[in-house]
Amino acid sequence: MTQNNAFELNRRTVMKLGVGAAAAATAGVNLSSEKALANNPAKSQSPALGARLSRAEGPLKVSGQARYAIEQKLENMAYGVTVQSTRPAGRIVSIDTSAAKALPGVVDVYTPQNALKLNKPTVYSKGGGATEEFTPLQDDVIRFNGMHIALVVAETFEQAMEAASLLKVEYEAGDAIVDFNDPKAKSQPIDAMAAAWGDAATALANAEVKVDVTYTTSREYNVPMEPHACIASWDNGKMTVWEPSQWVGGARRVVSDWLGIDIEDVRVISPYVGGGFGSKIGAHPHVGLACAASRKLGRPVKVSLTRPQTFTGLGGRPATRQNLSIGATKEGKIVSIVHESWNETAIDELHVEACNNVTKIMYATPNLSSRLNVVPVHTVQPGWKRAPGENPSAYALECAIDELAYALEMDPITLRLANWADIDPSSKLPWTTRQLREAYAAGADAIGWWKRNPKPRSMREGRELIGFGMASGAYPMLRTASEAKIVFHVSGQIEVLSGGTDIGTGTYTILAQTAADVLGVPAETVAVRLGDTILPRSALAGGSQQANNLTGAVDRAAKNARAALLSLAATDPKSPLAASKVTELTLENGRVRPTRRPSGGISIADLLKAVGRNTLEVEGNTFAPGASEEMKNGADRSFAQMKASLEGGVSAHSWCAQFVEVRVDEDFGTIRVKRMVAAFDSGRIFNPKLAESQWIGGMIMGLGQTLLEEGHVDQRDGRTVNANFADYAVPVNADVPGVQVISVGIPDFQASALGGKGVGEIGVVGVAPAIGNAVFHATGKRVRSLPITLEKLA
Amino acid sequence: MSAARQLSLEVNGKRHNLQLDIRTTLLDALREHADLPGTKKGCDQGQCGACTVHVDGERVLSCLTLAAQVEGRQVTTIEGLQTADGVMHAVQTAFIEHDAFQCGYCTPGQIMSAIACIREGHAGTDDDIREYMSGNICRCGAYPHIVAAVRDAASRLKTERAL
Ligand code: FES
Ligand code: FES
Repeated sequence: MTQNNAFELNRRTVMKLGVGAAAAATAGVNLSSEKALANNPAKSQSPALGARLSRAEGPLKVSGQARYAIEQKLENMAYGVTVQSTRPAGRIVSIDTSAAKALPGVVDVYTPQNALKLNKPTVYSKGGGATEEFTPLQDDVIRFNGMHIALVVAETFEQAMEAASLLKVEYEAGDAIVDFNDPKAKSQPIDAMAAAWGDAATALANAEVKVDVTYTTSREYNVPMEPHACIASWDNGKMTVWEPSQWVGGARRVVSDWLGIDIEDVRVISPYVGGGFGSKIGAHPHVGLACAASRKLGRPVKVSLTRPQTFTGLGGRPATRQNLSIGATKEGKIVSIVHESWNETAIDELHVEACNNVTKIMYATPNLSSRLNVVPVHTVQPGWKRAPGENPSAYALECAIDELAYALEMDPITLRLANWADIDPSSKLPWTTRQLREAYAAGADAIGWWKRNPKPRSMREGRELIGFGMASGAYPMLRTASEAKIVFHVSGQIEVLSGGTDIGTGTYTILAQTAADVLGVPAETVAVRLGDTILPRSALAGGSQQANNLTGAVDRAAKNARAALLSLAATDPKSPLAASKVTELTLENGRVRPTRRPSGGISIADLLKAVGRNTLEVEGNTFAPGASEEMKNGADRSFAQMKASLEGGVSAHSWCAQFVEVRVDEDFGTIRVKRMVAAFDSGRIFNPKLAESQWIGGMIMGLGQTLLEEGHVDQRDGRTVNANFADYAVPVNADVPGVQVISVGIPDFQASALGGKGVGEIGVVGVAPAIGNAVFHATGKRVRSLPITLEKLA
Repeated sequence: MSAARQLSLEVNGKRHNLQLDIRTTLLDALREHADLPGTKKGCDQGQCGACTVHVDGERVLSCLTLAAQVEGRQVTTIEGLQTADGVMHAVQTAFIEHDAFQCGYCTPGQIMSAIACIREGHAGTDDDIREYMSGNICRCGAYPHIVAAVRDAASRLKTERAL
């Protein structure tokens, strides 16, 4: 079969498979679950959930009135600045603090010699809430260049900064392993995360067509615009921390660990979060220093990492390397996948980048083997960056599939469809929903995929080579049971309360929408309070689970609240409807009325007034009936209750198909992304306007990862050389082309209570391979390491 | 050397008499001393645009400006854009309508830049907007919506002026 025939055949196949989605493609982003829901009678009554409402907290954010964590005004606050090591290994012999202490305004200088006592926190993998065990100032060991070795506290920020510059540190040199290419580096297998079925080695050896490639990614940094910083305030045996957090419950647990105090004596508040992308799930070590200093000094202490310090005050995505071999028949049937990956981890801690998360579920292969390894080096403990695991996994896999397509002279989408996995090949469980064919169809149509000449270096405009590339990806459904509360006030105000945080994802908005739907009131009239450990328990805003966790909990709370209102109206002797039976009452448009009398009734506020109550508080949750307090606490301050993608005997994931057009300057090798189009299956969409923003944001982060972002390590001393926004380049407006996103999801009630799947991370998955494949199409050159920079194209 | 000095700053038409370390930046003066934390600190080294404010109507990076430098000059921050009766600037409403932000942390800087960008006559085309808004990083990646919001606000302001 010639390539052209394959395309034509494939085009028809895809169109047939995804007619609805292809129609969606022409309609652009406007097609969303709203239309999908119209076909679903059970949900078609919903006016608020699914609507394109603007961000509820938008007016506060555009007017500078939204107060982020460290923008609280506290009396008598001191300023703390950390000092970081300039050596990668060895020991601190001494730190001379005399010059610093002699400065006016300096309150104290804490070092390993004058330490603030901090206990080691329990990490999440051992049942705690911490993302790293590293606890600064507790010993004299240097673990990496840029680790905190001192905290200077002064009356003003300026005094603290100057004093911090005056510490004289004497080091004893140590032998460092600066990165995972260091000859001294040794890898350790992580057997628990390996995967294998069939006989992958033999099947690969006998395969008719093979690709055998190595793909690498660089150290990447989350760099949310709000730097990591906090205010800790010790008062009367209790600690309050204002901390930009994706998980206040986890931070609370870590603070109680550090200080050795009861968790009930810790409150963590995080009203708005200036981005996190995984880096604000754990409270990082500087928070411990702030807490301990505040306890010691008996006054509030604000500790802000400088932008350069954020590169080593916490970790980003570690560098990864993947060896990947795919064997196939001449007809394009995959017979074997052999995969092995390595990622950097801290010298005495474990971070695994699960580089086989997508590799092992994307295609039907009778044989697969995958092994994961970590390589301890002298680095800050790496962390989670948007789609940890899935992102590099999809990068290597989806580039290798493109290589295989070229080796077979087959269209990449045709090849993917030829290896369609009807069930999850890894667990052998059925998918919940997998609108991936629809995603291929919609994305291909929107970018004009079938009009491309597939031959590399065959398309150009003037001096620019044109390339089209595509890739797909998956992100697993994580879920944790949660609680929520609805409060009716006699003023008429309705509140929704949850400890979950809004990190820019739209939690404030969609929770108001959820409650509004059930209570029959406009979403704008529902006020949502979030981000505080005094509010109902919630798991983290991470792993793309929070929207589904909390809409489920708020839905339950609102239904309980509706029942409670009707019962109050029917049973309280002072209620004007006291003569009615509960079953004869309806809550509609914010009024309780007899079901048979469409007009009249009484507003919620008037009902409360009539029965003499100021408020009515009603809770709801998604825990199994009879769940213990211990389980509920476990959901809020550990990962103990988190359910993974295979819960309930089905395999649940979000899916995407990414398409890009690039232009490569033939003379200079500069790569510009011209267009990005992606189709997503995130199930039911609670608010398309906000979901689209997240998808687009993920895609742009992927663009940065592919073309710009790379942490450089000084080979002499392990220093992160480019620890700032000028040298660690992230995309700016001029780097970003037109972006189109399409929703092809359908409600998936096996995946979550209200039918949604993950949104926040799937946007970034598959972007790097789509761009890499487009660069190959444009230039005929296969760059197998990120970022793809012009010198690699030369 | 950290001599404090009495500085009188005019911010959003209001006088603030502040006792400041002479090294205090305009950004820290606003955030830590004048209780105006709407202006954000993203890098403190002139690389991200989050701290953009207007001094005598022009956009400046407040992290690279000492508070002492703006004595006698008029500073406008994000908190000062609304009219006395609370009506938002066209750029603010356009940002909400187009969902031109997510976490909102870069947003005050983006909006201050956008207003200047329109005033400078650099909002004529999408490419112009992209170029002249590139001093403001948005890690949430709201760029396409920022362009749409600036374009929309620019045309609304033009119409208003023509009326
Ligand atoms: S804080 Fe001023 S440019 Fe970043
Ligand atoms: S909205 Fe979050 S950085 Fe721009």
